[in-house]
Amino acid sequence: MRKYWSIFWVNWQNALQYRGPTLIYLLGNILRVSVLIYLWNSIYQGQGHLATYTLPDLITYYLLQLVINSLVLSYVSWEIVDQIREGAFSNFLIRPINYLHYWFMVNLSTKLFEGALILVVGGILSFVLMDYLSAPTHVMSLVLFVLSLLLGGILAFEFDFAIGLLAFWLVQANAFKYMLQYMIFFFAGALLPLDLFPKAFQTVAQALPFRYLVFFPIQIFLEKEPDPERGLAVALIWGIVLYLFLQYVLRRGIRQYEAVGQ
Amino acid sequence: MPVIEVRELNKTFKTHRKEPGLVGSLKGLFWREPVFNEAVKSVSFSIEEGELVGFLGPNGAGKTTLLKMLSGILYPSSGEARVLGFVPWERDRAYQRQFAIVMGQKNQLWWDLPPSESFALNRDIYQVDPAAFDRTLAEMVSLLDLKHLLDVPVRHLSLGERMKCELVAALLHQPRVLFLDEPTIGLDVISQERIRSFIQEYNRLKRTTVLLTSHYMRDVEELCQRILVINHGRIVYNGPLQELANRYVDHKIIKIRFSCAPAEGMLAGLEETVESDAHHAVLKVKKKEVARRTRWLLDRLPIDDLSVEEVEVDEVIRRIFEERVIQE
Amino acid sequence: MRVWRSLSRYLGLYRSFLAHNLKNEMIYRANFSIALGMDIFFMSMNVVFFAILYTNVETIGGWTYDQTLILVGSVGFIREIAYLTFRQGFLELGDYVRTGRFDSMLTAPMAANAHLAFRHVSLTESLGEGLMGLLLVAYGFAHVHDAAWRNIPLYLFMLINSLVIYYAFCLIVNSAVFWLVKSQELNTLVYYFMDTARYPRDIYRGFGKAFFTFVIPSSLVATVPAGILAGRMDGSLIVLALGIAAAALTAGLLIWNWSLHHYSSASS
Repeated sequence: MRKYWSIFWVNWQNALQYRGPTLIYLLGNILRVSVLIYLWNSIYQGQGHLATYTLPDLITYYLLQLVINSLVLSYVSWEIVDQIREGAFSNFLIRPINYLHYWFMVNLSTKLFEGALILVVGGILSFVLMDYLSAPTHVMSLVLFVLSLLLGGILAFEFDFAIGLLAFWLVQANAFKYMLQYMIFFFAGALLPLDLFPKAFQTVAQALPFRYLVFFPIQIFLEKEPDPERGLAVALIWGIVLYLFLQYVLRRGIRQYEAVGQ
Repeated sequence: MPVIEVRELNKTFKTHRKEPGLVGSLKGLFWREPVFNEAVKSVSFSIEEGELVGFLGPNGAGKTTLLKMLSGILYPSSGEARVLGFVPWERDRAYQRQFAIVMGQKNQLWWDLPPSESFALNRDIYQVDPAAFDRTLAEMVSLLDLKHLLDVPVRHLSLGERMKCELVAALLHQPRVLFLDEPTIGLDVISQERIRSFIQEYNRLKRTTVLLTSHYMRDVEELCQRILVINHGRIVYNGPLQELANRYVDHKIIKIRFSCAPAEGMLAGLEETVESDAHHAVLKVKKKEVARRTRWLLDRLPIDDLSVEEVEVDEVIRRIFEERVIQE
Repeated sequence: MRVWRSLSRYLGLYRSFLAHNLKNEMIYRANFSIALGMDIFFMSMNVVFFAILYTNVETIGGWTYDQTLILVGSVGFIREIAYLTFRQGFLELGDYVRTGRFDSMLTAPMAANAHLAFRHVSLTESLGEGLMGLLLVAYGFAHVHDAAWRNIPLYLFMLINSLVIYYAFCLIVNSAVFWLVKSQELNTLVYYFMDTARYPRDIYRGFGKAFFTFVIPSSLVATVPAGILAGRMDGSLIVLALGIAAAALTAGLLIWNWSLHHYSSASS
């Protein structure tokens, strides 16, 4: 177990070495969200409105999406694809370490680091935009929100890890990855709230587990989710099933990797 | 008028030290302790047109840094240098068209296209007259025996073949000065030989001034009339190769072949003996003692063959790097 | 006179480099279809985003759906021209610097930023975006009111002006490569620049408007040319965009040269 914690800390040290790039990463995110807030503001000034959302609802939605992007959403698949395609994966085969667990710790470490940073940014933005935000009225909502973030983080990691495992079988994994990742974010509600979609899209989105990454937690926060406990239970089941599935796929992948003779 | 003139050239790099552990990393967010690395210290020398000069030194001695300053890639911390009358780091286009630099293992050729394409592109970049270009290319191709390689994509060439093409690409604009940084590094023995003989031939034919850096003794031994030895950023020797041994080494090697096994203990007692068995022996003898010791050996031992040799240049260089200068 | 000779020399060099890069790209035909597919996918998602928005509202910042299509299409078109002229080179800069291969761009007798740009000019990298962009612009143009064919030359001219702004932005941001070790975030920043250009400038107010005009001029880059075709031509904005382009380019070249100076003083 100790080895996993040292992975955690080493990853933090690595991240702290890069002051400049980290700053730029934060700035880039702030920019992106600012533009969207202006967009919504402009729409609402023009007497438009979107579904059941008030302007504060929408601004809160995107602020939370900013936080969730850093705190929950996972991007480890890029490195995983590189490792598998370039043969560095072999190092893991000879060490007594489970690839899934290893990446979970690295991801956890990265997420907490980036999350800490983005919470600072989010805090500042919330302070600036205080009058334009919607806050939950019950403490229970907050508790459920945090729980949904936790589950969302696990699910996000699992989805991304699954995408990474594609590298065992696909030569040109990257292009496919881009599109797959984008579709997941799309159906997670990262670009637009899912209830703005046309009916057909909405039905699909309801059935897919990706909504638990972004849309579901934010709905809890905005107190628009009618049955949060049930949603959490479903998310949990997805998490467990995916874990088992991933361990299985990983084993198959390793066999494929060794057969190809990297 | 020397082609290359360097006076009191200095280059110091600033990096920082990171404290270990997480606390160190957090501290490092705000302040880091600077570390100064003096890569080149008060270097002065001059090189005449047509010379083939070698820079020898261990890794990290400052050879590459020096070459980068002379080609204009780096600015010095202080000091002066002139190549062909230009100050290199001003990057005058007129200067850039008259020199070439090839760095071992740093590919400039386009990876997926045949070398002929990269050559054509260089012709445009260096504004070489097309007729002159064709002539030069034909000359190089025959000198290096490259005809069959011209249309093979670079990624299919071996390391040695790639290096040859890199050299051609660099020389197509007929530079007056050629900088070579570790040109034979990573190559197999045969390729190294071919590259060396080409450089020698080219220098002889074209009177191009060549500056070569290496940490391989053989590069320097075979090619250079004059060598400069660099260690820890300083020039510790500047002169012909032959005199190197005289300055730094005070002994010679005597090699003996016996006609029959010598008497037990005859050589064991001699402190000069390096190795000995029933058939051969090797001794390290001080230069002043060579004549006397030779007579002594010939008198007492059943010797079939005896030769007196210079110390291997490798050994000489090692001594220099350990900075052992003999006070004569 | 000397400026003219320099310009024609660089045009000739561009032609040489372009020919070489095209030959290079022909070798990777398989990649091309994948890149094309991806481009079409992402442009479509762009359109879907706005389509969904417009099922809920009539106008965004006063722009109708058709007008916005001209905007989105213009962004795609600009990105393709950017890849044809300088974009890819900047993406490779980090690698070049880290492996030491950038040095060969300092020793060759041509400007380092031009060498970097020309070395990687690409037709196919963003071709899908360019083609789809053109289609979107054409579609939007066919459907807007006040569309006038005589505006097209001005549209193209302002498109070039926008490229200059984009180039200057890339130059400034990528100069940081010489100071930082990791450059991945810089590329993301440049990506955000064109990404935010997709929205009409009219959504901005107050501080945001000033920021996205003078600090990160992404609000001008697509809005001004698209406005010309969409029947929303604004003379003062055109003048502003021209001024920003000139200022940005000057600043960009200064910062780039200063960063090169730092590189030559500090790197080993």
